[in-house]
Amino acid sequence: MNNVMTTLELKKFGRILNSRSFAREAVLRVKQIINGEKDTAEDLVLDFAEVEVVTPSFADEFIRGLRELYPQKEIKMRGTEGNPVLDDVLKIVEEGKTIDSDVID
Amino acid sequence: MDPHIESLYDHLDEWIPAGMVDFSHFDFMHPWDIGLISLLAIKHQATVGDGNIVLPRNANLRSYLKRMHFHTFLRELGCAHSAALFDSILISEHENMGLQEILHCRYLDDFSARLAHFERMFKNFGLGEEDAHRALIIVGEFGNNVFDHNLGNWPTNFSGSLIAAQNYPRLKRIEMIVADAGVGFLGSLQNAFPDLQTDIAAIKKGLEGNTGRIGEKRGNGLKTIQQWTIGNFHGVITIHSGSGLVQVDEHGIEEKEVAPIVGTLAQFVIYYE
Repeated sequence: MNNVMTTLELKKFGRILNSRSFAREAVLRVKQIINGEKDTAEDLVLDFAEVEVVTPSFADEFIRGLRELYPQKEIKMRGTEGNPVLDDVLKIVEEGKTIDSDVID
Repeated sequence: MDPHIESLYDHLDEWIPAGMVDFSHFDFMHPWDIGLISLLAIKHQATVGDGNIVLPRNANLRSYLKRMHFHTFLRELGCAHSAALFDSILISEHENMGLQEILHCRYLDDFSARLAHFERMFKNFGLGEEDAHRALIIVGEFGNNVFDHNLGNWPTNFSGSLIAAQNYPRLKRIEMIVADAGVGFLGSLQNAFPDLQTDIAAIKKGLEGNTGRIGEKRGNGLKTIQQWTIGNFHGVITIHSGSGLVQVDEHGIEEKEVAPIVGTLAQFVIYYE
């Protein structure tokens, strides 16, 4: 595994991220954004800075969708500082064991 | 069980006689009451007909219902005669800023687009940033469920979610409802859990974090909002689906068999500092 990261700024998807159907659309958009990159083991970083609210439905569908699309990539998250509700949502999704990801500072 | 809600159902036969929805004797209404009457009106739409919805005699309550835009819902239901009874009531939309008028979101995109508005509403009601976000997620998950479990399968011509809220600033209490005339908990969960027999059992199954969507890894939404409502807000979740009524708070879970509705009426009550 190398240290090359692809960073996705979630604020570009919206300040309030809601619903499974929107998450599925967002996963397809991510596919386009990183289209052309080889599916190596490089990290995929989800940057939540300036995102205010993420519902568990969106988080579950989005992160699981990325995991299924890029099984070789390690999914990490950042930008949740100062947003305890967002932290809680990501923990709930992790505890649901529907994703397998790390949280980074 | 909340005494107001219990009393409401104990006397249900009196105010929904055959072919009518009669709430003429009401003097005060909570969002729950408005949601229940709305779903009963949808259920009895074919038989009730315009003119058989008997509105409250209490003038203040009629003004409140107008402020809640109940007349708009009645018109949508085809009850123009009943709706016209509100025409002579003049109110200012700036009266009683502590409420959310009845909103009918026909589509998920419609609902999602309202979330920023709900966030402002919670903050205007007095919630801090963190609590407003948490409350927004609670209403977001309730609303998502309406569309996730009914898309393409609405049992009547009335699709989408009805949303209303009331803030009680002296009590520091917010009541918010999300209602839909959909397939209900039993209709949704029975696909995945064919042994489920009753609406109460289905609601409890849903509250445990189970989903009716076969072959999909999902669920936990209701479990989360239940935990947050009780754990973070010392609040109450009440769900009426089909003929089942279930209420959960920090003291436990209570259930009751009640008169059936089409779909689901869900409410969360939260307390804030």
